Amino acid sequence: MFSDLSAQKEGSSLLCRPASDDQGPVFERMSLAYSPCSERYRIGDRSFSRQYAHIYAARLMQMRPLLSERAQQKWGSDVLIRKLCDLQTGEQCCIVGTLFKRMDLQPSILKEISEEHNLLPQPARAKYISETDELILEDELQRIKLEGKIDRDKCVTGSIVAIYGAERNDGKFTVEDFCTADLPLQTARPALSSDRFVLLASGLGLGSTHADSMLGLQLLVDMVTGQLGDQGEQSGAATISRVLLAGNLLSQSTQDKDASTKAKYLTKKTQAGSVEAIRLLDELLLQLVASVPVDVMPGQYDPTNYTLPQQPLHRCMFPLSSVYPTLQLASNPYQANFDGVRFLGTSGQNVSDIQKYSSMDSHLEILEETLRLRHLAPTAPDTLGCYPFYQKDPFIFEECPHVYFSGNAPTFESKLIKGADGQEVLLVTVPDFSSTQTACLVNLRTLEYTVAFAMGFPC
Amino acid sequence: MTTKHRLITDSFKVVKKAKRGGRREKRPTSPPPQKEAETETVREEELQKLRQFDLDWRFGPCTGITRLQRWERAKLHGLNPPEEIRYLLLQTHTDPDYKLSLWSEYPL
Repeated sequence: MFSDLSAQKEGSSLLCRPASDDQGPVFERMSLAYSPCSERYRIGDRSFSRQYAHIYAARLMQMRPLLSERAQQKWGSDVLIRKLCDLQTGEQCCIVGTLFKRMDLQPSILKEISEEHNLLPQPARAKYISETDELILEDELQRIKLEGKIDRDKCVTGSIVAIYGAERNDGKFTVEDFCTADLPLQTARPALSSDRFVLLASGLGLGSTHADSMLGLQLLVDMVTGQLGDQGEQSGAATISRVLLAGNLLSQSTQDKDASTKAKYLTKKTQAGSVEAIRLLDELLLQLVASVPVDVMPGQYDPTNYTLPQQPLHRCMFPLSSVYPTLQLASNPYQANFDGVRFLGTSGQNVSDIQKYSSMDSHLEILEETLRLRHLAPTAPDTLGCYPFYQKDPFIFEECPHVYFSGNAPTFESKLIKGADGQEVLLVTVPDFSSTQTACLVNLRTLEYTVAFAMGFPC
Repeated sequence: MTTKHRLITDSFKVVKKAKRGGRREKRPTSPPPQKEAETETVREEELQKLRQFDLDWRFGPCTGITRLQRWERAKLHGLNPPEEIRYLLLQTHTDPDYKLSLWSEYPL
């Protein structure tokens, strides 16, 4: 992937005679100033005695002023912003609230346990949207059904929007226009003097049943640590200043629940699949951290808590690599500054959940939509597991990131979007490495991306 | 349909709560009632204020968190909760009648 770079340098190809007998040049790895800012995703004392009403209330409290401001920008400063309880029939006004999509196909534990009705078990679906879905807007006190110019299938439960229109006689609200909170303000990106790369990879899928996937992974590790290619390639690899592993380091198959369904005497001697996989991961990380700083985010199938925000994997699982200070075990949403470039991203649960509950299919499109909604995971806590926060909703963007990514996407996609206030955000969907053999490099200087193919053939 | 005639109380036993009011009524009777009755009305007034605060929908739901936590959340989001409530809560933070919300005795 650095071959075009190395092609320019004369005489450093593998096809020519070694330059001299001694060891050859040493390429110093570029270092960068790193400051983690993921404290907001750390959970201190864990209390699960609260209901989820708090997170919706806090979300609305935080977002209402932002949306009122946006509404005034869009529909004029004299626009009437009403609470639902003050709504007059036929009056043109703006309402702010939380969207709720009532969905017939949404899996529900109540439906599942109502055996008296002799219902068939609900089939797993790729999408849960249907023609009978209804959009409802809720504020602190009441709710109202929405109709009109709003794309029902695209919206998801939990997003806060401002809606312009009027209430009709039958009690439904006719939507004429709507707006979202849009991109928050961004601090300017510092001008960097040289190219520095951050490698993003996700879905390593260790412990899966097909063992051949390890070759691609080993090639990737060798490439990053500078053990592949000619000198040009190696000097290119030295510009990779950081590696970010965005979740699903372990494969889904390590999660089989055989032990809980089979008889005890059958599974007595078997070991959980994840034990071996973690040991493999530790060895892999050891090779990486000896050479480059690595951030490890947990994902859906990794051994940490299931609900967002996922807490960092525990150090004791990595006896070999955790002795290196270059190993950073991070939380799942992840946020950090690399040389003043702000990275924010998740392992992809938020995106794939929205994919199931809306008509949007492209991970990139969903990623952009969440940024426009100014909320990382609007479907939490409805269909996505989430810690019951009460004071603040930590998934609301307070500052606009420069790079916004999500892991475990089916393909690599990327796009630079520009906001109304001069924000520039690089959206990246990091592909699942085990199925695509693809990782991506982000250039911190230019916010351009390169795709790094570790292997050229599919497996 | 074997479960037709079962009641919800078969699975979930009726739990009788010790009444808050009952305990408070008992207390003034044991010590000399004169002075206690006065502090009792003050206390009742204060608790009434706090209950009013609980029922103010602008500050969000009140179950599962302490009154002070709710007050602080409202403050954080610029909703101007009354200072008097915070003062009252800080003074009496050990007493569960003051600390916890109106619905704290109901199981979630």
